Amino acid sequence: MFSTLKLTVSHAPFWHIGSSTSSKSRNILLASLLAVVPGCYQYGQAAVGVVTIAIASAIIWELLINFISRRPISVGDGNAALVGMIFAMMLPATTPWWAVVTGTFFAVVIGKGIFGGIGANPFNPAVLAMTIVMLSWSHLFDFNAALLNYQFDFNAVYPLVLSKAFGAPAVESFAVMDLLKGKQIGGIGSTFGIGLILGGVYLMLRGYIRWEISVSFLAGIFAAALGFNFLNPELYAGPGFHLFTGYTLIGAFFLATEDSSSPVNFIPMLIYGLLGGALTILIRNIGTHIDGVLYAILIINLVNPIVDKIRPKAIGKGV
Amino acid sequence: MIKRSFFGLVKPKLHYERIDEAQAEPVSVKASKNIMLSIEHPFESAKNSLLKIGDPVKNGQKIALTEKADDYLLASKSGRISNISPFVGILGKKYTVVTIDIDADSAQTVDDHFKSSSQTPSLEKARDLLSGLPGKPDFTVFFNTDKPVKTIVVMGADNDLLSITRQYFVKNNIISMKTGIDFLRKITGIHNVILIVPQHLAQVAGSSGATVKTVDSEYPSAHPHLIRQHVLSTEASSPDAGVAFFSAEAVSALGAAFNTGKLPLEKLITFISKDGTRRLVSIPIGTPLQDILNEFNENLEEGDQLIVGGPLTGISVYTTDSPVMPDSDTLIVQSKEQVPERSDAPCVNCGDCVRVCPASIQVNLLVRYLEAQQYQEAADQYDLFSCIECGFCSYVCESRIPVFQHIRLAKYTLESMKEAEENNV
Ligand code: SF4
Ligand code: SF4
Repeated sequence: MFSTLKLTVSHAPFWHIGSSTSSKSRNILLASLLAVVPGCYQYGQAAVGVVTIAIASAIIWELLINFISRRPISVGDGNAALVGMIFAMMLPATTPWWAVVTGTFFAVVIGKGIFGGIGANPFNPAVLAMTIVMLSWSHLFDFNAALLNYQFDFNAVYPLVLSKAFGAPAVESFAVMDLLKGKQIGGIGSTFGIGLILGGVYLMLRGYIRWEISVSFLAGIFAAALGFNFLNPELYAGPGFHLFTGYTLIGAFFLATEDSSSPVNFIPMLIYGLLGGALTILIRNIGTHIDGVLYAILIINLVNPIVDKIRPKAIGKGV
Repeated sequence: MIKRSFFGLVKPKLHYERIDEAQAEPVSVKASKNIMLSIEHPFESAKNSLLKIGDPVKNGQKIALTEKADDYLLASKSGRISNISPFVGILGKKYTVVTIDIDADSAQTVDDHFKSSSQTPSLEKARDLLSGLPGKPDFTVFFNTDKPVKTIVVMGADNDLLSITRQYFVKNNIISMKTGIDFLRKITGIHNVILIVPQHLAQVAGSSGATVKTVDSEYPSAHPHLIRQHVLSTEASSPDAGVAFFSAEAVSALGAAFNTGKLPLEKLITFISKDGTRRLVSIPIGTPLQDILNEFNENLEEGDQLIVGGPLTGISVYTTDSPVMPDSDTLIVQSKEQVPERSDAPCVNCGDCVRVCPASIQVNLLVRYLEAQQYQEAADQYDLFSCIECGFCSYVCESRIPVFQHIRLAKYTLESMKEAEENNV
């Protein structure tokens, strides 16, 4: 006597807020365009090529991983495309195709795939890949050499190289406004500060990245740079310079905020960000490397699980 | 359905429904042919039970499978037992369903057991006769000697979104609630009775004779665990303190029973149709849900969903013949298009669940263990049993993992394992 109508039977809750991994990826990709499009405008065809190859190859690597590990096809979540895009944003426009493809291999396969895919990667895949390719073929990523054949209407020396070699006075010619407008050489999507900031603010407001991380990362940069500058203004450039050069902005909004490798609790997010910012400046000012963002992010990725243990006790577990 | 706001920076909020100033009176819906009483008792033990197919049943008669059983229901109509069958509910809980073909309205016979015993009320009698009332009052807590009850909390705030069932009783039946509260005080000897209501009902709640406390409208602040924590005095807030919770409907039913000498067995349900219209329905316990749908010409199609309980914690039933239970506060019809998509994607560690969890659980870590079915680990290290089962984490999960279902399943599995162990020694 039971009626034969087939109803859907599922589990509570029967409502969903409507978010999804794919819409998050889409939004971050969209925000990244604000920096990537001006970058492509500046570096032309070559930059477009690098971006396209990076995204396409990242997707193919992901498909391959799905296939080998016999998991459902996961390119639909947009994460592979996003990793490819973010990787491309850090590259000089002159990167040869094989380096791009190897880089996305490191990002998607080594950085993410072997850990079990999205959500399981302990490091930001794009940062990990970038660090590996930089260490492997350092000559390709020396921005001064790489972009030698371009004609710019501004000082075409990688600003961080200048400050490293010649101290603060050497970079006085870089006005903050010019830096923000992308009048500096660097990665395809890493130099147009206004775009990065607008994109970052958009992502923070919409909750696609955790604002606590971005803000504290920048605060860490600011405070540490200010400290160094205060101690020796001759040697160390001020916070304004450090905030808008190298990978600082892309780091704050697109790299440090990667979900899987960053904390989710409030205090840990602040510590994570501040630490990242401070380490960046430490490496830039007293380390041997030109830019510290990538190493700083790998280090905070590493401490993330420990930092994220600082959290409120669950209820019913005493105070 | 409430969607993510454009600005996702702030924590998402869900609000309880608020009863209208001029809420229409409940529509009375009748049982058409039969009622079904679904008793939480395995069918196997029903073999030599008290009940036989063909037995006549009176209105208000206690329907229990064995003499001693705590689980029983009250027949809301008189008639004849036409079927006794097993039923397996969510998480494999075992029920026995007793179907009663009901007598015509004019031929209804009433069980006078209650009337005779209501002269000398006692806690034992209440436990043995009244827990089948609408709102499902639970008297067994008073018999737990480890945790003597010191406080009685009456919930005039609803337990899930969309429902206005409990609010209705505070707003319209506060007098019978007062009788019910006085009755509870008398049989338990506990004078500390607290009535929890949403802000807008604080004034009318005053005439209940109980101490009135309010909760805000943000889900899940009316959850019993959170009430204990935030509303009750520090003494009652510890998980070991004895607190007895009753719904406003249960208390009102107790009051009505003692005022009239007759057991009220009509359940009040907030019914939400597919188009979102909200109505109050008064219906005999055990009536198949189909009778409600017929009354309002609500046509279900293949793939639609029928939800008993609220949108966050309810249960979806697979047939419209499922009966109204004493604690079914809400009935929601959701069209196929509104059923949210779930996925088997892994957790991306977005942390949204952690930020909404009222129990401060690291759901992002917990879920990894649950998915790997490492339940013991989940309980020992990741606070599985701190979960108050509000469902918020699943609601926000970006990967659309059925986190809440994982949690329920894990708790149930561990609990049944523990039970099995205890039974073995
Ligand atoms: S259901 Fe989810 S959000 Fe609610 S208490 Fe449990 S873990 Fe926390
Ligand atoms: S909301 Fe879902 S995807 Fe996000 S951290 Fe929680 S369980 Fe993981």
